[in-house]
Amino acid sequence: MANFLAVAEARNGELRKVAHEAVTAAKALAGGGDVHAIVFGAPGIAAKAAALGECGASKVFVVEHDAFAMHNPEAASATIAAQVKAGGYRGVILSASAHGKDLAPRVAAKLGVGMAADVTAARMDGDAIVASHPVNTGKVVSTITLSANPAVVSVRPGAFTPAPTGGSATVEALASAADPAASRVKTTGLTQGNTAKLDLGEAPIIVTGGRGLKAAENFKLVEDLADAFGNAAVGATRAVTDDGWRPHSDQIGQTGRLVSPDLYIAVGVSGAIQHLAGMRTSKTIVAINKDKEAPIFKVADYGIVGDAFEVVPKLTEAVKAARANR
Amino acid sequence: MEQMTAGNFVFAAILLGAAGFFSYNAQRLARYLQFGKGAETSRVTEMPTRLRNLLVIGFAQSKILRDPLAGPLHAGVFWGFLVLTVGSIEILLQGVINGFSYDAFLPKPVFALYTLSQELFALLVLGAVSVLIWRRLVTKPKRLQGPGTHQAEAVFILSMIAGLMVTLLLMFGFASARQHGMEPGLHPVGGLIGRAFGGLSDGAQFAGFAINWWAHALLLLVFLNFLPYSKHLHVLTSLINTFFSNTSGPGTKGAMKPMDLEAEGVEIFGAKDIEQLSWKNLLDGYSCTECGRCTAACPANLTGKLLSPRKIVVDTRARLLEKAPLLVAREENAAPVAHAAHGDGDAHGHTATGEHVAVAAPDPAIEALLGKSLLDHYITEEELWACTSCRACVQECPVSIDQLEIINEMRRNLVLTESRFPEELLPAFEGMEQKGNPWSFAPGDRAAWAEGLEIPTMAELAASNDTPDILFWVGCMGSFDDRAKKVTVAFARILKAAGVKFAILGQEEACHGDPARRMGNEYLYQVLAKAAVETLNGYKVTTIVTHCPHCFHQIGKEFPQWGGTYEVIHHSEYLERLLREGRVPMDEGDGERLVVAYHDSCYLGRYNDVIDAPRETIRRALPIVDLVEPARTKDRGLCCGAGGGRMWMEEKAGKRINVERTEELLATGADTIAVACPFCMTMIADGVTAKGATADVLDLAELVAGRLAPEATASAS
Amino acid sequence: MKIAVCIKRVPDMDVKFKIAASGTAVDETGLKFDMSDFDGYAAEAALQINEKLGGGEITAICLGPDTVGETLRKALSMGIDKAVQLKCDAVPFDGYAIAQALAAELKGGNYDLILFGRMSIDSSNQSVGPMVAELLGLPCVTAASRLDVSAKTSGTAQRELEGASETVSFPLPAVVSIDEGVARPRYPSLKGIMAAKKKPLEVKPAQLGAATVTVTRMELPPERNAGRIIGEGPDTVPELVRLLQTEAKVL
Repeated sequence: MANFLAVAEARNGELRKVAHEAVTAAKALAGGGDVHAIVFGAPGIAAKAAALGECGASKVFVVEHDAFAMHNPEAASATIAAQVKAGGYRGVILSASAHGKDLAPRVAAKLGVGMAADVTAARMDGDAIVASHPVNTGKVVSTITLSANPAVVSVRPGAFTPAPTGGSATVEALASAADPAASRVKTTGLTQGNTAKLDLGEAPIIVTGGRGLKAAENFKLVEDLADAFGNAAVGATRAVTDDGWRPHSDQIGQTGRLVSPDLYIAVGVSGAIQHLAGMRTSKTIVAINKDKEAPIFKVADYGIVGDAFEVVPKLTEAVKAARANR
Repeated sequence: MEQMTAGNFVFAAILLGAAGFFSYNAQRLARYLQFGKGAETSRVTEMPTRLRNLLVIGFAQSKILRDPLAGPLHAGVFWGFLVLTVGSIEILLQGVINGFSYDAFLPKPVFALYTLSQELFALLVLGAVSVLIWRRLVTKPKRLQGPGTHQAEAVFILSMIAGLMVTLLLMFGFASARQHGMEPGLHPVGGLIGRAFGGLSDGAQFAGFAINWWAHALLLLVFLNFLPYSKHLHVLTSLINTFFSNTSGPGTKGAMKPMDLEAEGVEIFGAKDIEQLSWKNLLDGYSCTECGRCTAACPANLTGKLLSPRKIVVDTRARLLEKAPLLVAREENAAPVAHAAHGDGDAHGHTATGEHVAVAAPDPAIEALLGKSLLDHYITEEELWACTSCRACVQECPVSIDQLEIINEMRRNLVLTESRFPEELLPAFEGMEQKGNPWSFAPGDRAAWAEGLEIPTMAELAASNDTPDILFWVGCMGSFDDRAKKVTVAFARILKAAGVKFAILGQEEACHGDPARRMGNEYLYQVLAKAAVETLNGYKVTTIVTHCPHCFHQIGKEFPQWGGTYEVIHHSEYLERLLREGRVPMDEGDGERLVVAYHDSCYLGRYNDVIDAPRETIRRALPIVDLVEPARTKDRGLCCGAGGGRMWMEEKAGKRINVERTEELLATGADTIAVACPFCMTMIADGVTAKGATADVLDLAELVAGRLAPEATASAS
Repeated sequence: MKIAVCIKRVPDMDVKFKIAASGTAVDETGLKFDMSDFDGYAAEAALQINEKLGGGEITAICLGPDTVGETLRKALSMGIDKAVQLKCDAVPFDGYAIAQALAAELKGGNYDLILFGRMSIDSSNQSVGPMVAELLGLPCVTAASRLDVSAKTSGTAQRELEGASETVSFPLPAVVSIDEGVARPRYPSLKGIMAAKKKPLEVKPAQLGAATVTVTRMELPPERNAGRIIGEGPDTVPELVRLLQTEAKVL
């Protein structure tokens, strides 16, 4: 039984889902101990902070300052480290989100300890924390033992489903341990992603159309599916870009972009060697093709044999529904 | 013989001057060749082959004659020149020695034959040249147009030849008129022309003869001295070039030159400018007459790409003639005796030891010219990367120029020295280097196609002290490409059905680096090739069979450079042999009547003369086949577009080569297109899809496997 | 500018890994090794910065046994000027232990810029860069997908977030870790490979910190069988969505 501090991430004045996940993970490690959360933001964020009580935080420290309106890693990490020391926590839990990954090592170094990064599961084992951490691009899972005290752990987004405990939290203002306006590294702008412009190399999801779509105008089908995901980019095969249905910059394959997104959906793509070379390292591959002999099915994790014109619209609806429920 | 006249003295002086000027130019051009410091092997090996090339390709004009119209015309002019040269010597001697004639030395019938030959060949050359001028001015064939051609110069030269012939014939005519047709020898043409001048006075006839004699003799000397300044330099160098060329042997046809990558002090790998080319590459430049046969056969050029093999050679010559004189001037100024005394204002230099020579300051214009290079300023990257290495240009060249070698040397420079290449090649290089295949497929999956087929690996056989009759080298396409894997399996089934004891290398097989070599990455190539040789030699492999023509060529023809000498057989030849020997249990029936067009792979046909075996395999596999040939076929077959590393490059400009080739194949009316190369398979199958056609594209092994006797199928699968 | 690039030697990931007999590491037999992907971007970024600004010196630093010499040579063949191997028998998993060794080396180096890859693709901790920055007291930007350093005094960067991106400004000297997007690493020319053989490669003992994180087990995740056709026609869509949510966890 020990007390943990959870760093609750906010963006644009709202708590993010990963904030609840961090609290949930902290609660799991704390056993019966207390979980406190800490949140940074522009004045006004305190009003949102109490919601962290639902997942088990009993107290939320709110560090409000105009200079926390955007990511302020120097002041935030200094404040977190100071609070960990001041509060005598057994450990601090962050999300392994873009911001969490930025903060966690700074906090660990300030505390002079090693850390467990991007863990998918964690538990206390006597004096140590034992966690799972995928390595080697997810092809191997390592079990790591963290003996440091205090412990710094970042948890993989999505790995800890927020579990409502029905509790509530008190909110307490906390001063920043360093002048947030004096940070050397300054975040000067935040642009919400425009999914239509998502770069193929960075998109976590790619929907690719092949010659099976029959005509340029049918790419609407693929675009709609990408839109339904919200964070997907649209790719094309060489045959399609050669025919001028899509620009050459959209081509995925040996002679185009080499991609490995989390999810790759190939629609009407046969899977020629040059295409497979560009996308076969994708983490999950879905293929939709009329020809069940198409080579794309050999690399697909999930294949649907069927007419893209029937399957894709249904999938688009299903994805919209699934995302609406989040 | 009579006394020397004043005219003799004048002509002797002119002749001496002309000969001196010609000899100066010949030495100048020969000296330029020495700036080509690129590695070169001995070019006086295998003399019988060289002499054969000189006779067959040079004197007998075998390659020229492949063009049904221009071929005979050129051969006529060429043979005419050979014959008329004998007469030209007589004429020049006449100029110096008054009244000189072969008549004094030759028996009558021989002299008669000589005079007859002069007249008839003069007429022949005049006729041929007239048609050639007509072609240049009126019909304008496409291959005579475009970059790297000098139209006006060509017409000028042809006109000069016509002038030579006209003056010669008129000379014969006046001579005949003066002697009333009684001159020694046979003069049917001269006699005929002479009749027209019969009515003139003796004085006028003499004047007519003298004018034409002088005109002819002077024109001859002008012509001779104009050659070194024109594209018609080939008149002087093409026979020499043919003799020194290796494009039709000696040596291994199409094998790329190995590079010494460990050479000390080398700063520039491959060719950036003329200095890194070899003297032979530069002699190629002298020998090009811009006929355009290479460019007309080039698949890249045909489909609208920038590349023109002719331009590559013409540019090489142009750059040599631009830079070499400056280098000569620099050398002369840097000679130990300082040139300063002469006060050459526009020259400057350093001695070999680096001390500055007291000359005027560097001329910025000259520095700018020296600062240019063949690569970039004449030949662009885009041209070089468009090449499919199909070798059509090399094969078509009537004077045995090796355009491809220049392209390859410049690609080497781009990759090895400059690291400049189409960005899509990077993954191919990295794949070969790290994964042993250009697509970065997992090496562990290389033998996945063989699962359940019970095919032993070399390692397994070696473990039981066994050796196979043949090693089946599967190749990267055959191992990883879904379509080519079917060919691999089909071929393995045939081998099994025929009872051939064979093995594969399995996971020990890796790319031999041929694509890297063709793309200019000799370093990566050598790493891979040496590793493959080590593996093969480790198992003491003697016979290798493969269904990829690129593997076939590389292992068979280029591995000897690294100590790997094996009998390498392409599966088209191996299948033909098995079928001929009746070793494959085939279905007895006639089967379907298919209309099959066979597409020749460049690395089989043009590179290795494997032309009949694939066709014979088809005939034996399909007893009632209707084998049709596309317009361009056999050793003149059009490339599929994948060679020279093009498989891994984008094809953005012009029409796609594979579509062009597929259209040609479909135009035969074939319902089946047979291929014998996994790369051709991809390109042609893509072409068929793009055309929305229904023709099947099948490999030879699939055609044969489809006809295996039912019981053989059952036992082999 | 004086730039340091910290690189790591990692196995090629496009293989089926096996677990070593110890049970706490992957079996390295037959594996091919190369510079970690992101470190390649970092090396390229360093080269481009100095090409743009002219002059300067780039040092590549790699921690590990003598096999890392090959990785450092690759960096040198790309055009990096000199290399330092911080020698140790094995690279610890604990990023803080590594960061202490690197910080000890970097401390007196007067570097204007210290670059890292966003993370090493084997241990995937994404921690060493910012830890080194903390130990050296330098400003730090992590996971820059765009980097603009046009003066010796400051720079700007862009970072990719979930569904958004942010721009950052920072003073120099600084530590920056590089995400993909900045620059694709150049292909070493033969000229570069030859030149690399003559460039200095210094070997020093690594002053590693004590490790508080250790790998106590490694295992392979349950294999998903590729090539699974889950059904035919549009009626299969609900099953697909279910699998994407529960099995693949990507939705």
